[in-house]
Amino acid sequence: MNPLLEQFLSEARDTLEAIGTTLMELEQAPEDGELMTQLFRLVHTLKGNSGLFEVPEMTRVLHAGEDLMDAVRHHEIGFSNELADCLLDAMDHVARLCEDLEAERPFDAATAADTQKYVTALRALMPQRLDADPAQSPLPAGPEPLPIPAAERLAQLPEALRMSACLGALQATPGQTLVWGSYLPDEQCFFQGEDPLYLVRKIPGLLWADVTARQDWAPLVSLDAYQCQLSFHWLALTDAEALAAHFRYVPDQLRQCALPPLRLALPQGDPNGGPVYEDFVHDALALLDAGDRAGLGRAVRSMLELSNAALWLSSALRWLQSLLQAPATPDEALRALILSLRQLQWPDWSLLATPAPTGKAPLTTTPAAPSQATEAPQAGGRNTADLANAADTPEAVAFRELLSVQAEILSLPDDAQWLTGRLQAVSGALGACLRANGREDELPALAAATAQALAEGRSAPLADWMAEAFAGAQGELQRPTAASGPDSEQGSVSGPVSLSDAAHEDVHPDAQTEPTTTAALSTPGAPEASALTASGASPADLEARVERRGEDHASAKSLKVDQVKIDRLMNLIGEMVVAKNAIPYLANRAESVYGSRELSREIKTQYAVINRISEEMQDAIMQVRMMPVSFVFQRFPRLVRDLSRRLGKDVNLVLEGEDTAADKNIIESISDPLVHMVRNSLDHGLETPEQRRAAGKPAQGQLRISARQEADRVVIEISDDGRGIDPEVIKFKAYEKGLIDEATLERITPQEAINLVFMPGFSTADAVSDLSGRGVGMDVVRTAIERVNGSIALDSVKGRGTTIRLSLPLSMAVTNVMTIETDGQTFGVPIDMVVETVRVPRASIRGIKDNLVTVLRGRVVPLKSLNRLLSLAAPPLANDNDELAVLVVRLGEDYLGLLVDDFHETTDIILKPLAGVLGGLRLYSGSALLGDGSVLMVLNVKEML
Amino acid sequence: MALEFQKKQVLFNGVVGVEEAENLLAWLQKKSGVSADLSACEHLHPANLQVLMAAAVPIKAWPADPVLAAILQSALTAHPSIQEQ
Repeated sequence: MNPLLEQFLSEARDTLEAIGTTLMELEQAPEDGELMTQLFRLVHTLKGNSGLFEVPEMTRVLHAGEDLMDAVRHHEIGFSNELADCLLDAMDHVARLCEDLEAERPFDAATAADTQKYVTALRALMPQRLDADPAQSPLPAGPEPLPIPAAERLAQLPEALRMSACLGALQATPGQTLVWGSYLPDEQCFFQGEDPLYLVRKIPGLLWADVTARQDWAPLVSLDAYQCQLSFHWLALTDAEALAAHFRYVPDQLRQCALPPLRLALPQGDPNGGPVYEDFVHDALALLDAGDRAGLGRAVRSMLELSNAALWLSSALRWLQSLLQAPATPDEALRALILSLRQLQWPDWSLLATPAPTGKAPLTTTPAAPSQATEAPQAGGRNTADLANAADTPEAVAFRELLSVQAEILSLPDDAQWLTGRLQAVSGALGACLRANGREDELPALAAATAQALAEGRSAPLADWMAEAFAGAQGELQRPTAASGPDSEQGSVSGPVSLSDAAHEDVHPDAQTEPTTTAALSTPGAPEASALTASGASPADLEARVERRGEDHASAKSLKVDQVKIDRLMNLIGEMVVAKNAIPYLANRAESVYGSRELSREIKTQYAVINRISEEMQDAIMQVRMMPVSFVFQRFPRLVRDLSRRLGKDVNLVLEGEDTAADKNIIESISDPLVHMVRNSLDHGLETPEQRRAAGKPAQGQLRISARQEADRVVIEISDDGRGIDPEVIKFKAYEKGLIDEATLERITPQEAINLVFMPGFSTADAVSDLSGRGVGMDVVRTAIERVNGSIALDSVKGRGTTIRLSLPLSMAVTNVMTIETDGQTFGVPIDMVVETVRVPRASIRGIKDNLVTVLRGRVVPLKSLNRLLSLAAPPLANDNDELAVLVVRLGEDYLGLLVDDFHETTDIILKPLAGVLGGLRLYSGSALLGDGSVLMVLNVKEML
Repeated sequence: MALEFQKKQVLFNGVVGVEEAENLLAWLQKKSGVSADLSACEHLHPANLQVLMAAAVPIKAWPADPVLAAILQSALTAHPSIQEQ
C-alpha cells in the first residue's frame, strides 16, 4: 500500500469519528449553524480526498451525504433524528469501505449495490428541488433529445457536404449513425479550463460544425471576452458510445438527435423549369418501378449532362445519382425525389421511414420490385386514405409480425425432415392471412406455390410467392375499400407503398433492424434520439475531479506517531535506567578495590547528574504513552444513543474527567470491559421510562462515567440510577445454577451476594440478547482488569442504582519490587503484594496438619516455604537468632507468609514479561535487568498457590 | 508570439490561447479599421473568437485547415442564420 493511501485511511478514520461526534452534538442542538458547517466541511473534505483513489462508490456516498448536509445548512431541510440515523449508517458504510481498502479487498458488485442503497436513502431525504442538477440526480435523466432540425436549417449546409454525409450514412457500418447535435457550453466554462471549440473540432466522425452567438454582442468597450456566449451545432457520423465518451464532462450541455440521412437530400438551385421535366419524371418512375436502377442511373446522368448545373433540377439529379450509389436507399426515397421535380419543392422526408443502413447486399426489395408492377393494380385497389394511421393499428402490427414469422420460418435451412410440415404450416397461415384480408382470389396462387415448393423440396418458391404477394402489403391493412383509383403515383409523398416497403425491410430475417425503425413511422427521429441520449447519459457520474481545499486543521500542534517508535523509546530508556544504576557500583569499586576516593566521589557527583536526567527522560517517555481516557470514552455517546433507542429507554450520559491520562496499554485493555459494563447498565440496570415513573424516579435515567487520578492509581467509576442489584435474586440465581451450595446460600452477606456476579457462567437474564446475558460478562471483565494489575469493585443499592469502581495503575512500566533471597537466588516480589517483612522465631511457628502457621498481630497466617514452592530442595535458612524470614503477602482477602532466607532492598525495575518458551511459566510474572547486569526473576505469587 | 499586432492587422500564429483574448480585446478597443489574418492559425481559444465576432473584424485570410476554416467562417461571416434548437 502506498504511503498516500495509508495517510488517507488514517485521516479518514479520524474524520469519520469526528463526523460521528459532530452529528451527535448536532442532535442535541439542531439549530447550531456552526456545527452544521463543521459537519458539512468534514464530509466534503473526505469526499474530496476519496476522489484521489479508485473508490467511486465511497465518493458517491459521501457526495450524497455532502449534498444533504449542504441542504441542511442552507436551511432547506431541518435536521432530524431520521437524517442523523441515515447519515450515521452511511458513514458506517464508508468506514467499512475503508477497511476493505486497507485489507486490499477489491470492491465487488455486492458492495456497489450496498453503496447504491445508502446513496438512494440519503438522496431520498433531499428536498425536492426543481432546478436539481441532472448530473447529480440518482437517475440521471439526461438532456432532452433535440428535435430534428428543419429542412431550411439543414439546407444551409453545403450540398457537397450533405451529399457525402448522406451517402456515408447510408453505407455506413451498423452502429454508426448520423448525429445532429447542439452544444451550449456553460457561460463560465472558460474559467474551468474548457475549450469548447477544441472539443467540437475533436468530435469523432465530425462532418460539419458551426458557431453562432447566443445573443447580440455587447459593445466592445464593455465586452467580457471570458463569458462564453457561443453555441455550437455539429453533424457527425459516429457511434453513440464514442460520442458519449467524448462529451462525458459536459453531458448536460449537449443535445443531440439521430439524423435520418435522407433529411439531407435537399436540392437547391435555380428553379427554372420546363415541360421537358414531365417526360423525365414519367420515364424515371417507370424505370424505378421496373426496378431498373441502372437504367435510372443512366437516365439521370444523361439528363444531368443536358442541364445547367445551377438549376434546381441539376441539384436534384445529383442527389438521385448520389442516392443510387447506395443500395440501401429505398425506392420511395428515389421516387420522392423524382416526384419533387414536379413542384420543384423538397420532398417531405419526415414522412419517410429511415432505411436501415446496412453495408450488405440489398434486401428483398429488389425481387419485390418486378412483382410490384404486376401487382400495381391490386395495390392500387387497396390504397387506404391515410396509411400512416393504418400502419399503426394493432391489426397491422399483428399482420406484420405474423408475416415476419412466416418469412423467418421459410428462411430456415431446407432440412428434409421438417420441410413438408413447415411448408404446409406456413401455407396455412398465409392462406388465413389472405382470407382475413379479403384476398381469397389469391388462394389458388398460394396453393400453386406451395405445391411447387413441396415438389421441389425447398422453401424458395413459397418464399418468393410470399414476398410477392405481401411485398407492398406487409404493413398495409387490407381494407376492402378502394379509396382512390389505381393510382400508384399519388402526387403527395404519403406514398402508401413506400411505408410498407420500409416496413418490409424490417421483416427480412437477416436485416439488422435498428430497434427504432419499425416504430419510427410517424416520428422517425425521436426514438432513435432517445436511444442515443440514453446511452450518452450513463457515464455521467465520473467524479474524477478532486477538490482539495486546505482545511483548517490544528496540524502543527500534534504529531501522529507510530506506536512501534514509542515502544522503542521505552525500551531504550529502560536500558538506560538500568545501565546508569551500574555507576554507583563502579564508584564503590573505585573506592574499595582501587583505593581512589577522589575518583569515587567525582563519579558519584556525575552520577547524580546523569540520574536526574535519565529519570526525567523516563518520566517524559512515560508521559508520551499516556493517553487521555477520552479515547475510550468517546465511543460511549454513540453507543448509549444507539442502545437506548433500541431498548426504548431514555438515558442521559454524563462523562467526567475525560482528560485523565493513563498508560496506553491500560486504556486499551479496559476499553472492552467498559463497553460491557455500560451495556449491562443499560440493559439490566436502567429501567424503562414507565417503570421509572412508577417508582417515583424521573423518566430519564442517568448514566455517569467518570475518571480521576488518585495517587498512583486511576479510578474509573460507572454509576447509574437504575434498579440496582438485588442480592436475593443473585443468591438464588447462583444457587439455581449450582454455583453455590445451600450452606453458602444461607450465610452469604448481601455484599458477597452482589459479588457473585463475577463468577464465571453467571447471568440473571432469562433471555440472552445480543447485548448481554450470556453469562460471560463480568467474569471476563474482572480478569481483564486484573491482568493489568487493576481491581474492580461493585456497589449497589436495590432500587437506587449501581456503581462499579475500577482502580488501575497509572503506569505499567515501572514496578516497584522487593528483592528477596532464597537458596542463594534472588527473586523479586511486586511491592503491592507485600504486606510486611518480619522475622519470626522458629518457636512461634506451629504446624497444623501438614501446614505451618504463625500468629502475627492476632492473625493466623499460613506459612509456605518459598523453596518448597519453587521446588528447591533446601530448607529455609534461619538467621543467628533462629528466626525465619517471613514475607507476608496479600492474596485477595487473605494473607500468606513466605519463608525466605533474607530480604534485600526494594528497587524500581522495568518488568518485562517472559517471552517465547519461557512465557508459559506462570510462576514468574516477568524478569528485569538489575544495575549490576544480573537478571531478576519476579515472582507471580498468586500463581504459586 | 501567438498574436502579432501590426499597424493595420493582427496575425494569428499557431495556437492562440485563452489569455490572448484580453490583449486582442484591448487592441481592438483602441484601433479601428483593422483586419485579421488567420492563415497561420492552427487553433484559437473561443474567447478570442468571441472578441472577433463582437468586433466584427473583417478576416483577410482564413486558416489552412479546412474544418477550422469552415467553422470560423460560419461564425465570422454574416449569413442569415436561423437561431434554433
